[in-house]
Amino acid sequence: MLNRRDFLRVVGIGSAGAAAGFALAELNAPNPARLIPYLIPPEDIIPGVANWYASVCRQCGAGCGIVVKVMEGRAKKIEGNPIHPISKGGLCARGQAGLQVLYNPGRIKNPLRRIGERGKGEFQEITWEEGLTILSKNLKELRDRGEGDGLYLLTSPISGHLKLLLKNFMNAYGSSKYFAYELINYENLRFANNITFGQNSLPHYDIENTNLLLSFGADFLTTWISPVNYSYAYGHMRQGRPGLRGKVIQVEPRLSLTGANADEWVAVKPGTEGLLALAIAYEIVEGGYYKGEDRGKWLAALERFTPRDVAKVTEVAEERIIGIAREFSKTKPSLAIGGENVSSYENGVSNLVAINILNYLAGNNIGISGGIIPNRDIEKSSFIPVNSLMQDASKGKIKTLILYDTNPVFTTPGAVKVEGQLKNIPLIVSLSSFMDETTLLSDLILPTHTYLEDWGDNFTEPSVGYPVATIMQPAVNPVFNTKSVGDIFIHLARNLAGVFQKEIPWTDFGAYLQASWKMVYNKHKDMKEIRETTFEEFWNNLLSKGGWWKEESQAGKKVYISVNKITPYLPKGPASFDGDDKDYPFYLTLYPHSSYMDGRGANLPWLQELPDAMTSVVWGTWIEMNPERATTMGIKEGDVIEVESPFGKIYAPVCLYAGQRPDTISIPIGQGHKFYGKYAEGRGANPLDLLPFKVDERTGAVSHNSTKVKITKTNSPGRLVKMAGWTKELGRDIVQTITPEEFQVKEG
Amino acid sequence: MAGFLDRLLERFKIYREPGYYKRYDYWWAMVVDLDRCTGCGACVTACQAENNTPVVGEEESGKGRVLNWMRIERYVEGEYPDVKVKFIPVFCAHCDKAPCEVACPVYATYHNQDGLNVQVYNRCVGTFTCATYCPYDVRRFNWFTYKDKGSFESPLDEQLNPDVTVRTMGVMEKCTFCIQRIVAAKDRAKDENRKVRDGEVIPACVQSCPSKALTFGDLNDPNSQVSKLAGLPAEPYYLRESGSKLAKISKNPRAYRLLEDLNAAPTIIYLKRVMKGSSTIGHE
Ligand code: SF4
Ligand code: SF4
Ligand code: SF4
Repeated sequence: MLNRRDFLRVVGIGSAGAAAGFALAELNAPNPARLIPYLIPPEDIIPGVANWYASVCRQCGAGCGIVVKVMEGRAKKIEGNPIHPISKGGLCARGQAGLQVLYNPGRIKNPLRRIGERGKGEFQEITWEEGLTILSKNLKELRDRGEGDGLYLLTSPISGHLKLLLKNFMNAYGSSKYFAYELINYENLRFANNITFGQNSLPHYDIENTNLLLSFGADFLTTWISPVNYSYAYGHMRQGRPGLRGKVIQVEPRLSLTGANADEWVAVKPGTEGLLALAIAYEIVEGGYYKGEDRGKWLAALERFTPRDVAKVTEVAEERIIGIAREFSKTKPSLAIGGENVSSYENGVSNLVAINILNYLAGNNIGISGGIIPNRDIEKSSFIPVNSLMQDASKGKIKTLILYDTNPVFTTPGAVKVEGQLKNIPLIVSLSSFMDETTLLSDLILPTHTYLEDWGDNFTEPSVGYPVATIMQPAVNPVFNTKSVGDIFIHLARNLAGVFQKEIPWTDFGAYLQASWKMVYNKHKDMKEIRETTFEEFWNNLLSKGGWWKEESQAGKKVYISVNKITPYLPKGPASFDGDDKDYPFYLTLYPHSSYMDGRGANLPWLQELPDAMTSVVWGTWIEMNPERATTMGIKEGDVIEVESPFGKIYAPVCLYAGQRPDTISIPIGQGHKFYGKYAEGRGANPLDLLPFKVDERTGAVSHNSTKVKITKTNSPGRLVKMAGWTKELGRDIVQTITPEEFQVKEG
Repeated sequence: MAGFLDRLLERFKIYREPGYYKRYDYWWAMVVDLDRCTGCGACVTACQAENNTPVVGEEESGKGRVLNWMRIERYVEGEYPDVKVKFIPVFCAHCDKAPCEVACPVYATYHNQDGLNVQVYNRCVGTFTCATYCPYDVRRFNWFTYKDKGSFESPLDEQLNPDVTVRTMGVMEKCTFCIQRIVAAKDRAKDENRKVRDGEVIPACVQSCPSKALTFGDLNDPNSQVSKLAGLPAEPYYLRESGSKLAKISKNPRAYRLLEDLNAAPTIIYLKRVMKGSSTIGHE
């Protein structure tokens, strides 16, 4: 039997705080009542002693399990949940900075109604009652007019029961327009996986146990899919297996952090990565490493892509291509992955398909430890291509738009002109914790809890080879006058009455979550993994562990790839770029900044002051350029240059970086916010302003490596604040190394 | 009262005898595996969150006044396309022959009975000498009371760790090996009448590291993770002498200490990165 203290530790302060009768809702108000509770200490709060609550990180989609240290009702520190299979106790810098999401001075403190012109930023504080009434009234009118399908709901890609609730709500309302949008998404990868492995999901890439990792532009140590889990896997692959050390080859035009950790860097020409993969595939088949009966068919399909021909286009030497193909085939297990960089060309899907088949040809690395372990199919994602959303907007189909946790005005290419399209929407409602660019254009703002104040759950894709569900529980009481997004919809359902009452009968989101998990429990309670005999026990364990997962290695499922089926999807040539070579001599590759991602982390001061891993720049945008190329153009480090594409211009200082191809410049995405709180506003530039509106036709995912640019030196003042001084060791032997051979001899 | 003082004096007498360090209760040390470290910087933010290190802003950062207690250094070797980038996390090495300690005119920084180089904020008068003497450039100075300059603008201040002071203008600070966590673990151990267990103290940086590059523990204990990773024999006290060479006693060919020739006897042991075609200098 649990004693009362244990029980409260597991159920979370959301209820504990309420039970103990002190509400810290108005932390900002000078409220003497804040001090009173400790004169009569509630039984579970001991001043100076921390309680830890298990929950889930929501700073990216990876779903790392966290534990939050709470003292006297305040969150003090976030750490990785040591028993959680995704985070394994670790966290990335963004995960650490979650506390500054919670306690950010830029949070929206009360519901707001627009009073001035749209976009002017003039709002009036209103009560929740008023805010929800405005919205319910609008929704009622819309439905009564028979325009229920004019209600659009756009969120970030969320999972778990919140998604289910929103879906139920939209169904009950009679709208089929529930969509998700995010700039950095994995739609192309899911699509490619469906073509190659027959599963429309992200598989588990078993980096941990592989011996050769061939990564095409996957920056898996900072931003790609599940960075904390992959970092753990990386550490293990390098030094966790005595006598065995996996090797990494990174193929990309700009040396990323992952590339810097690799053993070899292949500085391929931008847009030709897929062709390089095909040349490697050709060599695998041609060299006799692929032994399938349909060998002849493969050879025929790949004959245009001999290493010799592809070498010219990719600027990777023929011998090197052959060498990689042989090493990849001979090393077992080996693993090829295609990341954000290759997926963001206009032919992203094709590139990824080409990379995927390497795993198949080199001895079927699929379904084995150290290779690719396909996941269960996930439910179809609700991803929407921005263009179709914008078309609907311009045609006046969108009557009311509700936004949650997504900022399309900032995260879409400049050429989309989202801002202009939003003008056609009569009512925009933003459920957001921060005043970002999109929220500023809204008519009604209903501020939401952050993930440290809310209930929820997360069903992680791609997980780790077995299902992982992580529970989100409130670690602290709400800091401001905000609501749980789930509660907002439950409240709306209550106001709308009728069919909603049947579909969504719960009093609040926490109750809904618990009821949903009760259903899960009842359905599965006979499984041998579920030892708890009552739901209460199960729920308490769920909260104290942080979730539920079934540790088992998934049975290896072999796949067969048919040449005929796959051929139409293979890349036909290099990716196309807007802007002709003469006027626009540089390729532009954009990448999500390791701390700000698509821009959402830019309002957190810890992340602004965390030096960028490669350049050590803080508090700004920079443009990475090859040092020799810069010298020939008379450009020095720190010079502000104008970068111009056929679609726009931005200005930022240059940072010289030898890990950059001479014909390419790279810019991190994330800065350049017009609105997003004092730490982000007016800082740096948003390189998305340079982009045309190009997508991979098959999925509608935005390609952000899609234009060429020209650069001009300017005399504008600008500053590059770099933390590192000299990047040469000058014989001081600071970072000492030993060669792989010596390592094998001495350790192995 | 007198009895208590006597006991205290008796206890501290041992620290006045030659070879006293062998009787230190603990010898806290860190092992950094450079073949696991990816340079991601999670540890840097974790440290900032734990230790109430203020954010100083762009202006002050540009003047080199950031206060982060640890940093990731990057070295870029070679020219395109044969470029190698190497990372190394650098923190206070809690040197056993710490140059910073002899520098301080007011004894604000000294070695404690756990082998830690500690900083007494109340005593520090801000002469900056220690920072000048430190060969690893890990000491950070509070040029202002950053709290008053809005570094913890409400409600960011709700996050401040009550176990750690918020420093004010004129004070030198640096990595403490998360001494508050060490103290908590020792208190717990004392209550239970035992020694601190291996792995019981986990500094914030070590805790956060996703690739498990950092390990913390007690070098007095030959069975601790750090002793094993560093390949050290039981009683590696030789390392505490000036002029000691780790390679002489370590069984791990990857183990080295940063700028060992400076003879500060640092307590952080790095494990070399495995890398093609690179130098092996520094190992005999
Ligand atoms: S990878 Fe980082 S941001 Fe993403 S969930 Fe994990 S800790 Fe959070
Ligand atoms: S690293 Fe620097 S500050 Fe730390 S003990 Fe050594 S000399 Fe002193
Ligand atoms: S968190 Fe770990 S991997 Fe990342 S920089 Fe720090 S020590 Fe290296």
